[in-house]
Amino acid sequence: MREFTLSRRGVLGGAALLAAPAILRQARAAEQCVVGTWGGDYARLLRENIDDPILKPGGINVVQDVGDEAPRVSKLYAQKKLPRGTMDIACMNATTGYRVTEAGLVETLDEKQVPNLKHVQTNLRMPAVVPHIYSAQVLVYNPDTVKQPPQTMSDLLDPKWKGKVGVVSPAGQWILQAASLLESGTTTDFDKAKAFVLKLNANGLRLYPETDNLAPAFKSGEIEVGMIWLARSFMWRNGGFPVAGTFPREGSMLYVSGMVVPKNAPDKEAAYKYMNALLEPSAQRGFAAHMGYLPTVDNAPLSGAVGEQLGFPDPKPKLVTPDYPVLAKVQPELDEWWLKNIQHG
Amino acid sequence: MMLTLVAPLALLLRDSLNRFDPTELMLEAVTPENYLRFFADVFYWNVLVTTIRVSVIVTAICLLFGLPMAWRLARTASHWKSALVVLMVLPLFVGSTTRTAGWMILFAHGGMLDMLTGLNLMYAEPAVIAGIIAINLPYTVLTLQSVFEGIDPRLEEAAASMGAAPSRAFWRVVFPLALPGISIAAVLCFILCMNAFATPVLLGGPRFQMMAPLLFWAFNSDNNWPFAAAIAFILMATTLLLTGIANHMIPRRYRA
Repeated sequence: MREFTLSRRGVLGGAALLAAPAILRQARAAEQCVVGTWGGDYARLLRENIDDPILKPGGINVVQDVGDEAPRVSKLYAQKKLPRGTMDIACMNATTGYRVTEAGLVETLDEKQVPNLKHVQTNLRMPAVVPHIYSAQVLVYNPDTVKQPPQTMSDLLDPKWKGKVGVVSPAGQWILQAASLLESGTTTDFDKAKAFVLKLNANGLRLYPETDNLAPAFKSGEIEVGMIWLARSFMWRNGGFPVAGTFPREGSMLYVSGMVVPKNAPDKEAAYKYMNALLEPSAQRGFAAHMGYLPTVDNAPLSGAVGEQLGFPDPKPKLVTPDYPVLAKVQPELDEWWLKNIQHG
Repeated sequence: MMLTLVAPLALLLRDSLNRFDPTELMLEAVTPENYLRFFADVFYWNVLVTTIRVSVIVTAICLLFGLPMAWRLARTASHWKSALVVLMVLPLFVGSTTRTAGWMILFAHGGMLDMLTGLNLMYAEPAVIAGIIAINLPYTVLTLQSVFEGIDPRLEEAAASMGAAPSRAFWRVVFPLALPGISIAAVLCFILCMNAFATPVLLGGPRFQMMAPLLFWAFNSDNNWPFAAAIAFILMATTLLLTGIANHMIPRRYRA
C-alpha cells in the first residue's frame, strides 16, 4: 500500500487554499469606501451617478455615512488623534473644507492621486477640497407677478417690494457677502454689508428657516423677490413653482460643495478613486440634470434643456468665489450678528 | 443608570468650560467665558425669558384644558372610555415634526386659517404656543387621568351626602388630594416645553427664539461646542430651579 506523505510545499499550498476565502474577504474589505454625506437627493444621486456606475464595477463597495455637516465635522475633529478614522471621504461646503485643511485634518491632493483634478475649473481649485458641485447666488422673482425683475441687490430696497422680499435665514453669511459685493466690489467689507442688510431688514425682509420654505412662499404670494442659489430656482421651476432667477449686476457669489479625505482615512486609495470618479463628466452631468448644480470640471459641458436652463447668459455674469481665509475666521461673528440684528431685529 | 446619565453630563460640563476657536473648534481651558457671554448679553437673556414665558403659558393652558378632560375621562362609566383614551393617545403616534407640518399648513400664508379668518399666525409666538399645546396636552391629560383614577369616588359621594355641591366637593376634597399628581403633570408639561425644538423652529420661524433652537444654532452654525454646552447647562439649571421653586410653593402636606 502506498504511503500517504505530505510535502512541505503541499502543506503550504493546502494552507493557502484553505485561507483563500479569508484572504479574498480581506481584499474585498480593503476596497470599501466610507463616504460621510448628506442624505436625501444628494445621497441618492451619489449612489446613482458615482457609487453604482463607476466605483462598483471597479470593485469598490461604497458605504454612505449619512448625516448633517456639523456632526460630520465634529466627528473629524473628535477622531483626529486616532490612527484610523471612520470616514474615507467627508462632504462639506468649501468654507468648512478650508477650515479643516487649516486644522491639518485632511490630505492635500494632487493630480497623481486624483488625475481628474486637472479638469477642475481654476477658480474652484483648493489644495485639499475637491469641488464636487457649485451654484451661483441669484436674485429670484415670481415671473407671474414681477414684470420688471430686479437687476441688482439694491433693487430689493425698492418700496414696492416692502414685505415681499424673502431669504433663507441660515444663509445669512451669504446675504452679507452679496451685500458686500454690492456695496464695495469685494466680498469682505462686512461693515458696509451690515449697513445694507439692516436697511433690507427695515424694508420688511421675510426670513425662512429652511431653503425649501422659499418656494411655497413664492407660490402663495407671500413674497415676490428674494435671493437663493441658481440650483434651487432650477429645481423649483421644474417642480412647478413660479420662480425665475437673474444674475445680479454686481456679481454672484459662488457656493461650492466639496469633499475631503481625512488624514486618518482607513482606505486612502479607495478615497482617491472616489474623488476621481466624482469628477467624471457623466457624474457631473447627473448632478446638473437632477439638482441644477453646475459641473466643477471643464470637460462636462451641459447640453439640451439642462444646458438651456443652467447655461450662463451672454455676456457671462461676474462669478465671485468667497474669500475663504477671511470667511473661515469671521463666520462665527457674522452668524451671531445675523442672529441678533436681523433675526431678532 | 448613573453612569449613562452622569458621565455624559460631566463631559458636557467640562466642554462648557473650554474655549472656542474657529479653526481648532475647542481648546482645552477652564474658563467661565461661555457662561459670561450668555449672561452678559441681553439678547440671550431675552431668549431665556421667552422660553420661560412660553413654557408657563403652555403649562397653564394644558392644565386648564387637561383637568376637566382628565376628570371626565377618569369618572366616565361609558363603554367608550377605552376608545376615548386611545383617541387621546393617538396624536402621540405621529412624530412632533410631522404634527408641526400639519400646523404649518393650517397657519401658513394662504393656508386654511388665513383663508377662513384672514389671520396669519405663521412665524409668531401664538403659533408656537398652539403647536406645543397640541403635543403636551395628551401627556398632561394622561398623567392627570391616572391621578384622578387613584382617588376613591366614594370620597366625593361622602362630600355630596354632607351637602357639598359637585364643584365644592371637587375643589375641597378631590383637588387637594390630586395636587401632588397635578404638580407632576405640570412639571412634565413645563419640562417638555422648555426643551421644545421642532415646533419653535418650524412655527416660530427665524425671528422667534427659544433655548433649544438657540443651542442647536450654536452647535450647527459654527460647531461651537463650548458655548452650546454652556447653553445646555443654563437651560437644564433653569428648568430644575423653576421646577424646584414651583414645588416649594405647594403646601408641604400636598407635595408629591
